[in-house]
Amino acid sequence: MRAPTPLAAGVEAADDAVPPLLAHGVGATHDLPLPPFYAYAGAFAALFVSFLGLALLWSSSRFRGDRAGRPLPATVQRLADARTTRTALRLLGLAAALTVVLHLLLGPDDPERNPAPGAVHVLLWVGLVPASLLLGPVWRLLNPLRTLHALLPAARAPRPLPAGVGIRPAAAGLLLYAWLELAAPDPASTAALLSFLAAHTAVHLLGAARHGPAWFAHADPFEVYSSLLARLSPVGRGADGRLVLRSPFHGLDSTPQTPGLVATLCVLLGSTAYDGVSDNPRWITTLQTSPLGPAPTATLGLLAAVALVASLYGLCAGALRLMDRELTHPLTSFAHSLLPIALGYLTAHYFTLFVTEGPRTVMMALGTDNAPAPAPPLAPGGLATLQIGAVVTGHVLGVVAAHDRSVRLFPPERAVAGQLPLFALMVAYTLGGIGLLVA
Amino acid sequence: MSARVSARPTAPPARGTAGRRSGVLLGAVLAVTLAAGCGGRATTHHKPGTGHQVATGGNGTVLPATDEAGHRLREVEAPGAPAVRVEARPDSEGGWNIHLTVERFRFTPESVGGAAIPGRGYARVVTDGKEATRLYGPWHHVPPGVRTVTVRLHADDHTVWAVAGRPVEATTALGPPGPPSPTAPSATSTPVPAPGRTVEITVNGDSVQPPPSRVEVRKGERVTLRVTSDRPDTLHVHGYDREVALPADRPVSLTLTADRTGLFEVETHESGLVLTQLVVR
Repeated sequence: MRAPTPLAAGVEAADDAVPPLLAHGVGATHDLPLPPFYAYAGAFAALFVSFLGLALLWSSSRFRGDRAGRPLPATVQRLADARTTRTALRLLGLAAALTVVLHLLLGPDDPERNPAPGAVHVLLWVGLVPASLLLGPVWRLLNPLRTLHALLPAARAPRPLPAGVGIRPAAAGLLLYAWLELAAPDPASTAALLSFLAAHTAVHLLGAARHGPAWFAHADPFEVYSSLLARLSPVGRGADGRLVLRSPFHGLDSTPQTPGLVATLCVLLGSTAYDGVSDNPRWITTLQTSPLGPAPTATLGLLAAVALVASLYGLCAGALRLMDRELTHPLTSFAHSLLPIALGYLTAHYFTLFVTEGPRTVMMALGTDNAPAPAPPLAPGGLATLQIGAVVTGHVLGVVAAHDRSVRLFPPERAVAGQLPLFALMVAYTLGGIGLLVA
Repeated sequence: MSARVSARPTAPPARGTAGRRSGVLLGAVLAVTLAAGCGGRATTHHKPGTGHQVATGGNGTVLPATDEAGHRLREVEAPGAPAVRVEARPDSEGGWNIHLTVERFRFTPESVGGAAIPGRGYARVVTDGKEATRLYGPWHHVPPGVRTVTVRLHADDHTVWAVAGRPVEATTALGPPGPPSPTAPSATSTPVPAPGRTVEITVNGDSVQPPPSRVEVRKGERVTLRVTSDRPDTLHVHGYDREVALPADRPVSLTLTADRTGLFEVETHESGLVLTQLVVR
């Protein structure tokens, strides 16, 4: 659709008045399937490092969560906490959101000429990954819904959120967004995006009106996503609320074990896995020939991917429970160790999209018509190395995090055996992830 | 100007005050001369491109020999001489797109007709021995039917840049575009791309035959998609952004040169079907 040859464009304008339907999202180039060499090398590295870690890693817990880290200089603290900074960020978030909505309402229904779809699917969804990794939970500060909520008159005293809810609403929100991005009939159309944003705004403003601003930290999918990824950021807040520079392992260790953490991670892993499957020609054939129609089939596929990831996790948690009856929360105790694995998947799947479509979206927003997507910065070999490197690094970080948690929770004589189920689960996830990059 | 003035120091110095004055003058003149001399050897009092005659010196020597159209050759030394290479790619609508790669040469359409300046000028396209056109840039389209194309570098005064008495030029043979090749390609400076492969696809309602698969293509290879649809539609190759209208029940071909790596989907716009994926490595 982008930049047709002038001749073809003229012909089409003459005899084809129907605007072309766009049954695809943002981004015209997909990554090449991984060459087998890289896949084998990656799988071998993951297995090797896992066993090495099992044998050689420390035997008493080293990660101290939010008690670790070196405080940042007072000037940085003051600057980060200054009212002006906070207000400026709120205004920035609100202005960006307003721009997107106006583009959706007034702009053309064509992701090649309207920057709004790219702003949501690339700059927000993918861009939150590097932003949160570098700077911490940025969406908390930018979230335009928080600003709107603060501007609206408070109705009455907010009711506290029931403790059992945790971040489950955010998991549901993430699944809905994943459905929009990967399975909806027309994910980049203005109608689809406007409906999603309207529903998102309505639900979360109502929720916040009932439960206060704490609602956003538990239910806003983008905020929970950003806050989870920020656990791997070198910048974080210590137990006393001060900004500290710390190893991502400490930040990861301080991930709160809220209900819904496992569900959220399973949605992240499952939806990224489905994104990998959806490129496969056999799955495309299934979609196109299914008697249910493509969108319902894709929905089922997405749900199946999430369910598969979740059931593997459930199996693993059951095995953990069998090994140690005293472990009260086998599900959530180790959930944090899946976060780096999810991050590895996200990086491998969305790196190219972000570096090519991100700048193009910005160019379009600045008024360049028909902005060309810049060429991918990496040659196929470099990209394959980066993808495998991301998946394997995520796996290694996950193994180390799980090991540390294991030696803390299990008595020393059972620490190594205790982490075996988790170990098997991670190997399964990583090999599956590599398999999807090859397929 | 400087050339004429700088001859003076050889004159005997005048005596007395006049001599001192002339000494001061001489110093000033020398300073001016030196300053003016920084820009290189001064050969003409005209600005570039406004001379009355064919300039010589750093611009080479005009030879008595001419090319077939009567342009004189302008000999320059091999080191620093301009060079040209030409490559041809088949165009999807017929004919060829030729691309000139020039070294130590710049296209200067704004000063054509002026004096020859080293490393500047234009190119002339000669197709099958006949002068076709001038080129003021690196790209040109050659219509189908042409067998050989020669590009030759000219100076702004229309002389032909030459090294060792031979014009600076490049020639390539253009094979017949398309699979049937009655004539063998002659020796060429650039190999002509292979005709490439053809992928046949038929769309019937929601069914795609053969079912979507991956077509592995080497970078630079040509691919022809031959698609028959049972209803009017638009064929679209992602990434390459090539579109072609598909009339009902009539095969339509779309040819492209796979010059970008990646995985690209080929789809129809109206029915929203993925027909195949091109895997370009």
